[in-house]
Amino acid sequence: MLWPLAEDDPRQRESSASDAASSIEERRTIAGRMPGDRVVRIVRPPEFRRGHGGIFVATPEATKADTAAGRVYERMRRILFGRPIASEAEMGERLSIPTGLGVLATDNISSSAYATEEAMRILALAGTGALVLTMPISLAIVTVLAIVVLSQTQVIRTYPGGGGSYAVAKNELGTIPGLIVAAALLIDYVLTVAVSTAAGVDAIGSFVQPVYEHRVEWGLALILLLAIGNLRGVREAGLIFSAPTYVYLVSIGGLIAYGVLRILAGDAPPALSPPTPFPAEGQESLTGLLGVFLILRAFASGSVALTGAEAVANGTPSLRPPEARSGTITVLLMGSLFGVVFLGITFLATRLGAVPDVKEQETLMSVVVRSLVGTGPFYYLIQISTSILLVLAANTGFTGFPRLASVLADDRFMPRQFAFRGERLAFSVGIVALAVIAAFVLSAFGGSVTNLIPLYTIGVFLAFTLAQTGLVRRWQRLRERGWWWRTGLNGLGAVATSITLVVVAVTKFEGGAWMVLVTLPLLVWLLFGINKHYRSVSDALVLEDPELPLPRPLPPIVVVPVARLDRSAVQAIAFAASISPHVRVVHIATSEDSAREFDRRWERFGGRLLSDGREIPLDIIESPYRSLLQPLLKYIDRVDQRDPRPITVVLAEFVPHHWWEFILHSQTAFRLKAALLFRPNTIVIDVPYHFRDPGELSHAHSEKVPH
Amino acid sequence: MRLSRILVPLSGAAVDTDVVKLAVDLARPSRAKIFGVHVIEVRWNVPLDAVLEPELDRGEEVLANATKAAEQAGGHLETELLQAREAAAAIIDTAREKDCDLILVGMTYRRRLGRTYVSRTVEDVYLGAQCAVLAYRQEEPST
Repeated sequence: MLWPLAEDDPRQRESSASDAASSIEERRTIAGRMPGDRVVRIVRPPEFRRGHGGIFVATPEATKADTAAGRVYERMRRILFGRPIASEAEMGERLSIPTGLGVLATDNISSSAYATEEAMRILALAGTGALVLTMPISLAIVTVLAIVVLSQTQVIRTYPGGGGSYAVAKNELGTIPGLIVAAALLIDYVLTVAVSTAAGVDAIGSFVQPVYEHRVEWGLALILLLAIGNLRGVREAGLIFSAPTYVYLVSIGGLIAYGVLRILAGDAPPALSPPTPFPAEGQESLTGLLGVFLILRAFASGSVALTGAEAVANGTPSLRPPEARSGTITVLLMGSLFGVVFLGITFLATRLGAVPDVKEQETLMSVVVRSLVGTGPFYYLIQISTSILLVLAANTGFTGFPRLASVLADDRFMPRQFAFRGERLAFSVGIVALAVIAAFVLSAFGGSVTNLIPLYTIGVFLAFTLAQTGLVRRWQRLRERGWWWRTGLNGLGAVATSITLVVVAVTKFEGGAWMVLVTLPLLVWLLFGINKHYRSVSDALVLEDPELPLPRPLPPIVVVPVARLDRSAVQAIAFAASISPHVRVVHIATSEDSAREFDRRWERFGGRLLSDGREIPLDIIESPYRSLLQPLLKYIDRVDQRDPRPITVVLAEFVPHHWWEFILHSQTAFRLKAALLFRPNTIVIDVPYHFRDPGELSHAHSEKVPH
Repeated sequence: MRLSRILVPLSGAAVDTDVVKLAVDLARPSRAKIFGVHVIEVRWNVPLDAVLEPELDRGEEVLANATKAAEQAGGHLETELLQAREAAAAIIDTAREKDCDLILVGMTYRRRLGRTYVSRTVEDVYLGAQCAVLAYRQEEPST
């Protein structure tokens, strides 16, 4: 027998003091040089160290792989994702305000690169003359943003623990409004990734034609790159991704200053034409109700600029303490920088007379920069920094989605896996899930920003509206100091964002917003369903009285299926006999001859007799159709029907030396385990028999194993 | 003197960091191994192998800090936690068992009755060890 026998059990020889010590820690008493001197050496394995209060902490050694293949896999993981970070280092992974701005505000700030164009593309349908309305529409958008940003400071102040609009809506309005907000934001984060990568690829495609031709493939590659960057951890992703934000802000700031100075000096050059400009005469009218609708559509398209404004409130816990202060400063900086850049670009585009490209072959930004500074190095600096920023705006999605998903998972509205932090303290499952869904959406829409934009922004405005309403309710309920101005601010925010929401939903409905409006309730239903499942599981598993002693069940009925009477089977039968006196061995034979042969061997087998002299009953079932699994399952059913106790199936499993040797064995035990997994009232115990080299085997055979 | 194994007893005093750094410097030329030991002195009315949770926690902390100090100094420290009736005897026995050629003991600067005070453990190690003993006394604090 390969296991130590009961009388050889070394644990029985240990002292009482050692029993009090942990099974991880070993205490060796060593005699000293002088008579009577003794030293107790406390030997700790390198895989564990002692923490406070007798708790053991796993060291990096404990996570090391044992096999060569495992070590290669580990090394590849280290190269891709970096070394694991301990939980206690979480504070060191927090973001400073400048890095936080680069991580959490890129979505909003980068919207400035395409928001003007999106509004202009709608206005241009009524002819290029309608583009004069771009500036008033932009001012309206900035006004709404200012209200939203100020309202978000209240969200951050009230819920610095994260969750943003979801936390506000859930706590102040109830579970369903909270889930509506959560679903809306999850959809929006997916679209942030899809739209941002598509827009980034477009920006490069403006001057590199092959990129434009393969924009879906480029978009997918960028999503993969962002996912890997984020799996390396929030801080590292922040350090990598925040630099381009500042390059963009400085270069675009320089361009705006240069353009404004030239316009003031009366030296403004005329705008150059993109490859396929919108015609001067439009197909739609600007007069009457249709005209109003067109203006509202332009406002709705430009409102894409407001996306990402909620990311800071949601990601506040990733900022350095005091989190509320850091979050407030970050969101105010974000709003201010966005306002300056967005209005600056709109001013330059309208004053120069820039017209967007019908086929999206050249961005409006490219046209404006080309008109002002030509296609020199500065043009490429702005184009490249814009495209990098647009891609990195997707990073806001990668920061927001996993964090929101983790909050939802903590509240049991999403699978628990979303709450687990990976080796780099990143929410790995959320990051991977987001990358997969965003890649699917990007492919489905052919990588086109214009096709994706109608889906965008509905979620974010729905979230804003419900969060603001929730805060109004909170201030009214608590009546804290300054409640009246807070109520006014959030009330104004709720009204402004709800009007924008209606405008966006109505004007973009046909363009694709209906998809979001259909998906949203389905997602809410799914989240609610997940919670219902977790609640029912929790109810079923809860210990009503934790002080109750351990129940003492009767020894179970143990069935040991045996294919061949070999060492593996003997080990399984011996184990079965050690846990219960009610053991039955069953053999499925494919012919009468093999059944007789097994019976003969069993009669010679000394192990069939238990220590009390009783014989282990053997049932042999002949299966003329050569099916092993089904007759065995039916046999277990019959045994189970005769006794109310849980049935225990002890499986002898032969484990080969190498993974590829598995295909040389039938793995019946593995198939039986899978078949019994969902069978009620059944305990399955696997007794593995590891293949050993022949020399060792023969030695073990001669010493212990009866055969 | 070419060192191959250095034993550094660690008590958890501020001087530990200095001693570990000194040990790393001394070990560097000959690539000597450094062992850090913390001895929990067990009172006579308690079994020698008793599990003393607070002392164990403290001991682990002392060793973890010393390991960190050694890594910062560019060296490596192998640590061991011991329980004995008298720390000095355990240190001497461990040095003998590990075949150490130097015990580097740290002394906190203390004065008693107008004289610099040497603790009993340091004194006993100094007098009883078979290998070389180097005592590092913390510098006098400026008043």
